[in-house]
Amino acid sequence: MNRREFLRHAAWGSLCAGTAAGGYAWLRPTPPTVSVIRPGLPAGHLLRDAADWPQPARTLHCETLILGSGAAALCAAWHLVRNGQSNFLLAEGPERNGNNAARPYGEIAAPTGAHYLALPSRESTQVRQLLHALGILQDGVESDAPAYRETDLVFAPESRLYYQNRWQDGLLPEAPDADTRRFFALVARLKRARGRDGRKRFAIPLALSSSDAAREALDAQTFARWLDAQGLHSPALRWYLDYCCRDDYGQGADKISAFAGLHYFCARNNAQDAVLTWPEGLGHISEAIRRQIRLQEWRALPDGEDHATLRLSTPASVPMMAVAVEENADDVAVLLAPADGRRAPTVRLLARRVICAMPLQVAARIVRGFARYAGEGLQLPPVVPWLVANFHLCRFPAEAPGMERAWDNVVYGSPHLGYVIATHQLLRVARPRETVFTAYTTVPDLPPAQARRWLLEAGDDALLEYAARDLLAVYGKRFWWSVQHVDLIARAHAMPSPEPGYLNNAMLARLRAHASRLVFAHSDLSGYSVFEEACHHGVRAAQRLLAM
Amino acid sequence: MTSIRLNRTLVISVFVVASCGLAYELIMAALASYLLGDSILLFSSVIGLYLFAMGVGAHVSKYIADQDALARFIEIELLVGVMGGLSALGLFVAFGLAAAPFRTLLYAMVLLTGTVVGMEIPLVMRILNQQQADFRELVSRVLTFDYMGALAVSLLFPLVLAPHLGMARSALLFGILNVLVAMVTARAFRAQLGKRYAALQGRAGTVLLILAGAFVLANRIVAAAEEHYFGDPVVYSRSTPYQRLVVTRWKDDTRLFLNGNLQFSSRDEARYHEALVLPAMEQVKDARTVLILGGGDGLAAREVLKYPSVQAVTLVDLDAQMTQLFSQSRTLTALNHGSLADARLRVVNEDAAKWLETAPEQYDVILIDFPDPSSFALGKLYSVPMYRLAARHLAPGGRMAVQSTSPYFAPNAFWCIEATLRAAGLHTWPYHIYVPSFGEWGFILAGADDAFALPATLRVNTRFLSPEELAAMFRFPADMARREVEPNFLNTQKLVQYFEQDWGEVMR
Repeated sequence: MNRREFLRHAAWGSLCAGTAAGGYAWLRPTPPTVSVIRPGLPAGHLLRDAADWPQPARTLHCETLILGSGAAALCAAWHLVRNGQSNFLLAEGPERNGNNAARPYGEIAAPTGAHYLALPSRESTQVRQLLHALGILQDGVESDAPAYRETDLVFAPESRLYYQNRWQDGLLPEAPDADTRRFFALVARLKRARGRDGRKRFAIPLALSSSDAAREALDAQTFARWLDAQGLHSPALRWYLDYCCRDDYGQGADKISAFAGLHYFCARNNAQDAVLTWPEGLGHISEAIRRQIRLQEWRALPDGEDHATLRLSTPASVPMMAVAVEENADDVAVLLAPADGRRAPTVRLLARRVICAMPLQVAARIVRGFARYAGEGLQLPPVVPWLVANFHLCRFPAEAPGMERAWDNVVYGSPHLGYVIATHQLLRVARPRETVFTAYTTVPDLPPAQARRWLLEAGDDALLEYAARDLLAVYGKRFWWSVQHVDLIARAHAMPSPEPGYLNNAMLARLRAHASRLVFAHSDLSGYSVFEEACHHGVRAAQRLLAM
Repeated sequence: MTSIRLNRTLVISVFVVASCGLAYELIMAALASYLLGDSILLFSSVIGLYLFAMGVGAHVSKYIADQDALARFIEIELLVGVMGGLSALGLFVAFGLAAAPFRTLLYAMVLLTGTVVGMEIPLVMRILNQQQADFRELVSRVLTFDYMGALAVSLLFPLVLAPHLGMARSALLFGILNVLVAMVTARAFRAQLGKRYAALQGRAGTVLLILAGAFVLANRIVAAAEEHYFGDPVVYSRSTPYQRLVVTRWKDDTRLFLNGNLQFSSRDEARYHEALVLPAMEQVKDARTVLILGGGDGLAAREVLKYPSVQAVTLVDLDAQMTQLFSQSRTLTALNHGSLADARLRVVNEDAAKWLETAPEQYDVILIDFPDPSSFALGKLYSVPMYRLAARHLAPGGRMAVQSTSPYFAPNAFWCIEATLRAAGLHTWPYHIYVPSFGEWGFILAGADDAFALPATLRVNTRFLSPEELAAMFRFPADMARREVEPNFLNTQKLVQYFEQDWGEVMR
């Protein structure tokens, strides 16, 4: 072969190879982009590591200050405005809307935290009134079956279960077995049960539940032990109940207090069995409250003289977070730093009254003399981490046989919590082009502290693999062909977990009872994380300030 | 000298043979994914199996004796020509016959064609090797032209052949090329073939004739196959991002199928569309603005535009290719009287439900022609919030007509839709009509106020309706009488269950 011929052959060869490689690259799906988001992490580390903060540039005075923008903070704000108090400032904290936060994905928004709100029972009067004010509950605030705006209720089918390679309706596998029927008969009885003091045994908010010896006995054991004692052993039922515990409390039935396990089933007594949800999850409620109270969202505190006083006709918020809180005789001094984790500029606010609506582990760190409110010897409940993953899809993956797509999609036997389809709540003639599947996972095999460390230290690939397990079990590797982007939201301190004895936490009891210029409001005060409790504590805190 | 000339003939043959080999592979893979969807798995399994079969062919080729190699090569070319050439046509016909096990047939055809194609190149190399001693040069030449042929076809097929000739004719063209290679090779090696030459050329001629005949008839055969599937000759078919559109025509009957479901037959569509449009239009004095949701075929719009009072019609249909087809095709514009090109009509290609959420306009008449509520996803379109949303776009005194499935075959579903409209705070006047292609069909007229009077005369010319017929539509005989059923709430979606149960009982 001469040189010229060799070159010709080489040229043909590379052309063919190039075409083949190009074709392969064209056919092969491009792997999705992945972002790992750790809400509050920079701010949290700054709080942990920074011993002293730079001197504040100036001092401002204000009437009322709310620290945080999660559900409790916004409910407190709503209650203040409803009672004619609009002169307050709200410090958004490290994450706007906290666990109710949402993010946009193209035309859709999806939650990065909580997705739904169970229909509030009659005892949750504050939640019902809030929903009524927001136009979500339309009629019958005090009835057994209030009328909700239909598009805010989850559309049918609400849930489906992937069982033996088929989708079936509902979350309980097969037709209910004897144990399952017995369990739900028991629940029906317990729903009506009342304690010695005449109050309901299981009520939401927890504060309205009866407190007697029977309750103590339930709270002294794990849910799994209680189920064993009742002789409820059906694997299908036990998997389902374990799933419910992980879904609501972040740990399995073998860790959760029996009272908490039953509370989930027995506390809500609505004629209608449904949840309220929106494509963007509970972010919808937070945004609706913001609009309702006309919260002005400032980028920064207004310029002005040192020691100026803020007087607001409509409430305002700033993207700042409290890094030090100290209650004095005449006011509460709060040092505010930028919410994005920078150390400066800081501002000192002297507020007449403060609602501290932040997670308790943060409050314990920044409130000077916390023992004055919480008592000696911290008894913080165990806090579990969550990994929420938003898979932004450019098309819907092909489905296995059986029930069509539901709002909540769960895999039987999986230690994960399935996924929610954001576009399920849209009214459309055709399937939307894009959608978001939100997969929820906890780390049930590790104790909370280790789980948190794993979540912090795991690489992006390990987190992605972990978050996608249910989706891959259902759709196989082909799932990746539909994914364009994944947000992995690692919430290291997502929620407190009600382990046995949580009802008797003396620190929580003290904080709940405390009243001074500085009051606490957070669902943490109930020992578990649910919107109704956040609302209860938010409103209660606002009531205490109004009574001052 | 002769050796060089022979050599060139064979080398050109290699180029053609390689092109044909790749072409069959591409055609079968493309056709399979075109007919069955699911393209990636099908595509790669067809290609993989084909390559494997070629390996089998290469292996088998060693059992051919040296002295037979030339004659066998020519016979194999003829065989490839027949099998490859008719492959696409055969698959089309098999797909049309619903009973044929299509996938099995597809993979069998891939396996057979691949095996025979796999024998070609080893045989050519052996023949050349018998002619010429320089093995290094030989391997290099043959493989070079082999790959060049592959490249040529891989570009030619998607860019030129598939769009212009179609799958069936492309395959036949390559079949004919295979036969020509057989003929040219036979002629070039006439001396070596001796007595067998005449017989081979005779066979080649017969095969060529068959393939040429098939080439001429191919389009008619494909159409007949689709016709068998749809019942009538297919005049248009296209897959859009949303659905597969097929238009069939037999004598004066034109039919539209979406995803295989009949949408209308031109013989009786007037019954359906007059019934959908006229009751609402007659109830509103001088309706000026009209909204049509769905109805991309322009047939409801045709009825609307008959009314001289109408000034503006908005038609919201998701599928741009559908509205384009029905505004351009001469056969179809003859049916809708060019309604989609009318100056008074505006086409909006958007999701109707999404459009309702954002559009501010109000209309005197709203016509809703959505697909039947056969799934939860479609059931949402027949819900209280959907009707409230639609009612917000209704001008005072306006009327709305809703396609509501069959009150005879799906009575619970029909009355569920009626109950849903009432739950949305509207007054309702259900009615029904017999459409031979569908059977007894139902609609519901609805409005915010309860004024209702049957018209004594109709304001427009009709093919079917008269004031008497119109009055009769609002009477329900005992076997279609009103049923007490639950409205369709989004949270429970009873309608989908009713619809499934009702039709389940019809199709026992």
